[in-house]
Parts: sequence; C-alpha cells; structure tokens
Amino acid sequence: MAHRWGMAVDLDRCTGCEACVVACTAENNIATAGAEEAARGRAIHWIRVERYWEGEFPDAKLKFRPVLCQQCSAAPCESVCPTYASHHTDEGLNAQVYNRCVGTRYCANACPYTVRYFNFYNPSWDKPLHLQLNPDVSVREVGVMEKCTFCVQRIKAGERQAREENREVKDGEIKPACAQACPATAIVFGDLNDPESQVSRLAASGRGEKLLEDAGAEPNITYLKRQVTA
Amino acid sequence: MTCMYGLYDHPAAAQRVYTQLKRAGLKDGDITVISAEPFEAFGFSHRDHSLILFRLALLGGILGFLTGVGLTVGTERAWPLVTGGMPIVAWWPNLIVIFEMTMLGAILTTVVSLLVTGKLPSRKRSLYDVAVSDGKILVGVPVTGDAEAIRKALDFEAAAIKSAEFG
Amino acid sequence: MSKVTAEKMTEDLLRPLLKTSWHFYVLVVILGGIVSLGVGAFAYQVNQGIGVWGLNWPVFWAFDITNFVFWIGISHAGTLISAILRLVNAGWRRPVTRCAEVITAFALMIGASFPIVHLGRPWLFFWLAPYPTEREIWPNFRSPLVWDFFAISTYLTGSVLFLYLPTIPDFALVRDKTTGWRHTVYGALALGWSGTTKQWHRLETAMQIMAIAIIPVAVSVHTIVSFDFSMAPVPMWHSTIFGPYFVAGAIFSGIAALIIAMAALRKFLGLELYLHPVHFENLAKLLLMMSLLWGYFVFNERLTTWYGNGPSEIGVFWATQRGPYAPLFWTMVICNFVLPLCILSFKKLRTITGCVIASIGVVIGMWLERFLIIVPALSHKFLPYAYGNYRPRAPEILLLIATFGAMGLLYTLFSKFVPIISIWELKVGEQPELTEPRETRDEAATLWRTHP
Repeated sequence: MAHRWGMAVDLDRCTGCEACVVACTAENNIATAGAEEAARGRAIHWIRVERYWEGEFPDAKLKFRPVLCQQCSAAPCESVCPTYASHHTDEGLNAQVYNRCVGTRYCANACPYTVRYFNFYNPSWDKPLHLQLNPDVSVREVGVMEKCTFCVQRIKAGERQAREENREVKDGEIKPACAQACPATAIVFGDLNDPESQVSRLAASGRGEKLLEDAGAEPNITYLKRQVTA
Repeated sequence: MTCMYGLYDHPAAAQRVYTQLKRAGLKDGDITVISAEPFEAFGFSHRDHSLILFRLALLGGILGFLTGVGLTVGTERAWPLVTGGMPIVAWWPNLIVIFEMTMLGAILTTVVSLLVTGKLPSRKRSLYDVAVSDGKILVGVPVTGDAEAIRKALDFEAAAIKSAEFG
Repeated sequence: MSKVTAEKMTEDLLRPLLKTSWHFYVLVVILGGIVSLGVGAFAYQVNQGIGVWGLNWPVFWAFDITNFVFWIGISHAGTLISAILRLVNAGWRRPVTRCAEVITAFALMIGASFPIVHLGRPWLFFWLAPYPTEREIWPNFRSPLVWDFFAISTYLTGSVLFLYLPTIPDFALVRDKTTGWRHTVYGALALGWSGTTKQWHRLETAMQIMAIAIIPVAVSVHTIVSFDFSMAPVPMWHSTIFGPYFVAGAIFSGIAALIIAMAALRKFLGLELYLHPVHFENLAKLLLMMSLLWGYFVFNERLTTWYGNGPSEIGVFWATQRGPYAPLFWTMVICNFVLPLCILSFKKLRTITGCVIASIGVVIGMWLERFLIIVPALSHKFLPYAYGNYRPRAPEILLLIATFGAMGLLYTLFSKFVPIISIWELKVGEQPELTEPRETRDEAATLWRTHP
C-alpha cells in the first residue's frame, strides 16, 4: 500500500525551544535574511514556533505551536499555481517544484496557514557557512517559492534504503529534521496509511485536533491539545 | 479593363444614376458604387444581403469551443497532476477557458472573413478615384458592350464622367 | 449649433496628423522620461529581486496587483461606449467611440504587463501560455492566473481589432489626402480600402458581430480578474460578490478615465466643435449612476461581513474601517461616492470642469479601492502570528507613476498618427434624413429585390 505521510505535534510536550527551527534551517539550506531584511519581513522559517500569551501578569500563560506546511489534501495553494509548481504527490505530500515556479506568489496568499515563503533575493551564505549546505537539497534562486517538504530528501532516502534491503519502511525510521531535533519528542512523523504507526494512533487520539479545520484545506498534521491540569 | 465612371455630389444623384444603369440592362454585380461613408438610407447600399459573416462567426465560435475543450481536457489528461483535491479534468475551471476560446474563435473568424470577403488587403488596382475622399460618390461600370448607353445613364445627373484602366 | 460641413470635419480631424506643434514634442519628452524611469525601476527589480519592493511575508501582493486590476478596470471604458451604445443605436457615441476604444487598448496593454512585472522570475512569464514544450507540461487550467491569461489575451485581441477595423476607412482618407511616406504608410494600414458598398456592408456587419461578442468578453475579463481573489480562502477575499462588484467598478473607473481623456483632447487638439458639453453630460450621468452602483456593492459587501462577524473577516473589516487603513478607506469613499454625488447630481455643476474633477476623484478612489481589497486582507489572515503590514518603496511608486506616464504617452502618440475621432462615423451621424423617394413603388419593386 502506498504511503501517506503525516505528522502529529504534541502541544503538551512542546517547550518552544525552537530546536526544530534551527534543524530545519540547517537541513534544508535555508539562508538567514540578516537583521535588516528580517525586519522587513523577509525571513524564511519553514517551521516556525508561534507564541501566544493568555491572561495578564502574574497569571500570564504562554502557549507554543510549531506551524509548518500542513501538506493539505485539498490544498488551496495547489489549485492556484499556474505552472503546476505546487501539486500533490501520490504519497500525500504537497510538492514544491522549484524549477517550475515563476514566482506569482499566489500560493502564498492562498495558504490559510501562511507557511509558504518567497525568495525576495538570491540566498547567500557568508563563508564558511557555505560548507555546511546539505548536498541532498537544492539551493533555491531568487523569485522562487519554498516551504516545508516533510524533508522529502530523507523520505526518498529512507524508501530507497528499504527498497534496496527488500523490506518495508519501518515506522519511525524516517525522521524529518524537526522531529529528529526535538528534545521533547513533540513531533512525530509517519505513515497515516499504516494503522499501527505511532502517528496514526496519535491522530486518532481524543486530544487530536486540526489547525484551522474550517478553512477546508484538509490538513494532515494533527495537533494534540495541551492537557489541562486542575 | 476599361471602366467608365461618374463622380456625384449627392447620394440621391448616385441612386438615380444607378437606376438608369439598371434600366440600361446592367446587372447589380457590374455596378460599383464607392463613397467615403456608407449611405444606408439608399437602395444601392442594399444589394448585398449575405449573412455569411454571421454564419462564419458562429462557425468560428464552434471551432474555438472545440479548441478550448481539446486544450483543457486533452492536456489535463496527458499529464494528470492532482492539485487541491480537484479532479484531474476540472470542468468548472475548464468552462472559463473554453468560453474565452469560443469568443476568440468568433472574433478572429469575423475579422478574417471581413478581410477575405471585402478583398482586403487588395494589391491590384481596382476602380477608384481620390475624389471619393473629398466627398464625391463614384458610380462606375466596366465598359463591355454598348459604351454610349452607359455614358447616357451616367450623364443622367450632372457630373464629371471619366474613363480609366483598372485591374 | 451650426452644422459642421464634411470638408471642415476632415480638415479639423486630420490637422493633428499633418501639423505638429512644439507642445507635442515637449509632452513626448516628459512622458517618455517618466516611462523610462519606470522601465529602469523594473530593470533594477529584475536584476536584484522582488526584495527591492516593499512586499514581505505575509503581504505578497500590493502595488503590483493593484496596478494590474486598476488598469484592466480602466480598459472597460471602450467596450461600454463603443459596443453597448453601438448596439442600442445611441447617436451621441459617434465622436466618442475611438477615444474610448483607444483607452481600452492601451489600458489593457499596461494592465497586462503587470502579470509579467510582478513575477519572481519574469523571464519565464511565457510558461503561463499553452504551447507544446520539451518539458511536456501545460499550464494548470485550474488556476485563476491561467484564466487571466486567456481572458486578457482574448479581450486584448478583440479590442485591438475592434479599434482597428473602423479605422481602416479613415486610414484610406488620410492616404488619399497625403503624399510621400504618409501616403505609403497609411496606404498600407488602409489595406487598399476603396469604400465599395460591399465593403461598407461587410464592415458594418463585422462591427455588429464584434460589438455583440466583445461585451460578454469584457464582462468575463474583469470577473476572471476578480476570481484571482475570490478563489483564495483569504478573509474578505472569498466573497461571491466579487464578480459583479469588480465589473461595476471597472466600468465606473473606465468612464472616469474617458471623461478625463476627452477633456484633454478637446483642449489640446481644439475639438470644441466635435466634443460637446452634452457628450460630457451624458457620460457624467453614466458616471453618477455607476457611483451609486459602486456604493450599493460596497454596502452589500461590508454589511454582510459586519453582520456575519466571522473572526478573521471582522478583523480585516475593522482594519479598513477604523484601523491603520482607515484614512485610505475614507478617502476612497469620498472620492468614489461623496464627490461624484455632490458634483454630478446638479446640472449647474455638470460642466466639463466639474466632470473632470469628479473623474479624477474616481480614478484616485478606484486605485485606492483595489489597494484596500488586497493589502488589508493579506496583512490580517487567520493566524495572528502571521499578521503583517506593508509600506511601498521607491521602485513600486516609480512603476505606478510610469503607468500613468505610459498611458499619456501612448495616447499622445496615437492622436498624432491616427484621427482620434472617427471621421466616417461622424459623417454618417450628420447625414440628413431621406425625405422623398425618387422612384415609384412599381419601379422600386422591379429594380430592387430585397431578398436574394
């Protein structure tokens, strides 16, 4: 049976440390924008940790939510791309084909989660940081949209490994950079088509909810609500 | 061939000359009336009743429609990519493109038909006089048969009668 | 009012083609300079990246798409005047049609340049066109941007042809009245037109068909442009009213642009005998009606949003009504609704000057309206962490100014080389009513068969 990749993010475990953000940036060749451009709103964070405050001091509560591409089954970003740069793969991923992107930025506007980012300039890395670029991931050029791919390079590598060894992909074997880096193991990645996988069991959990479900995009990331203590 | 023509100041004069030419036995198709503006109120403007342009526009619309269907449905089937959970052959969006192609077909066919049936662009010299651009109306015929009868008909209204070689 | 003879008409309307004053050269140099600045700004952006603009995450569209929608909207002037008035046989359209059709053609060209200008990789714009490529991939017909491509191409083709066809007899007139290079060039443009009754009949039939065809195309074009917004799940974009709302707004801004263009032509080319105050009056009444219609649509849209109180939608609503975009919003309301109503409702104020003031207000107001549809919604979508704001930077402002410069320049050049008023159509309008037939009924019956 074909895979259908999904994720579960446990908001109870998330401490807001942003290790996932750093890991993603390193794994996926995301350039830093610099202070000036970041102030202009050009920073790229394929995964970002949203912080919300609730209440007033001294009873203020802080909530974190890592937001990344939800790989929606009815993704509004896919239908509006004129060049098929954004489309849905057989394995349930929302693919971004950089070579086809002409940079209309319609997909970014259509995304209810605002998880798509644009290369306003050509990305650059000051020496010696250019040496740490991941050879498995392309470097995007100016004018092209990009977003979280569920570390598709790791998925492909894992599937290739399994094929060579003549076996199925084991649950938990493929970990996107964010899932790998999270110290609280708040991010769980796996095959939603496998009812025994951890992500499927978490997705069926009573704490599970989808982000912006009413937008109708059918996201494939289940957020597990914080457990409220008495 | 040699053509004989008169230049008249008023469309009513041209109309009367036309009637005389018909009485002299000339056919509709031989008589040319040229003016710098159309005169819809007069009989000589109403010889041509063909609805061919409307029919060709309709045909062009149908061709455009078929092109639109072929383009959208054909290419969607040729490289099927799933986008937004929509079907591979997405009818609602396709209808928009099909509509535009239909209208484009009708418009282009109308223009091409106009050019072809109006014999535009015309390279060879046909019956014409620059006095037409000064407001004169030209009524002329090719001279075959009785030249005197033609001259008499053209002379029915006072005008400059000329003859020249064309075509 | 004294009747203008056909000779005087020809002389007056061909004069701009045959005589050039120093005003023309000064205007071309100034406008050309402005356009060059815009081209330079675009070249800078292609070289450096869209980062030189004020766009950011999450406001990915601002001035670029505002300009696009605005100029496509302006292009709806020609269709209304030419096509609709032609079909209802409104005689007063005659001196106005070509001015209007020219606005359509050039506004479309300017508007249609923005889908290319706004791209991150504009050198690949042709990937939106359907053509067989070695990549074997075709455009995504589900995308409103591809619908835009088809709609605008069809409308542009139709409008340019709609403009060109009735110009053919006028080109023939210029050909006959000139010598030298003018005679050759205009002769080529006239395609050897003589003016036989058959050609006239065919031309008028073709114009009739084109008029019938171009109206649904025009309606579809701005509806499809509105689909760029209504197809996206963005608060206050995802509205079913956008189709008719945008079409009404387009016709509204188009009439305003036409009034301004006509007033300028009347002054600079001395066309007082041809563009009468009554033409401005009639257009002003149309403008007033469109202003009321615009107000009706805005009221509809905003009442539904406010009443529905959807969490994200209401945020966008208040951002325009009372928040950071309020000054622009209320300026827009004054320019589009209050000012036209105050000026155009009173006959005494419906002078040419009054109409031009109201029209300039409408042009400004309609540009603001497009901006206020795009930017507040993008800066206030669903997730509060993803709220943002926007400020334009110099290249975008230069581009905006350059579009107006381009319109002015193209219009100036056109009125220099082509009679801006359709001479033959004007002459037809002046034709007297036929009062006495000269044949008896029997003669007519035998000589004229009305059916083949």
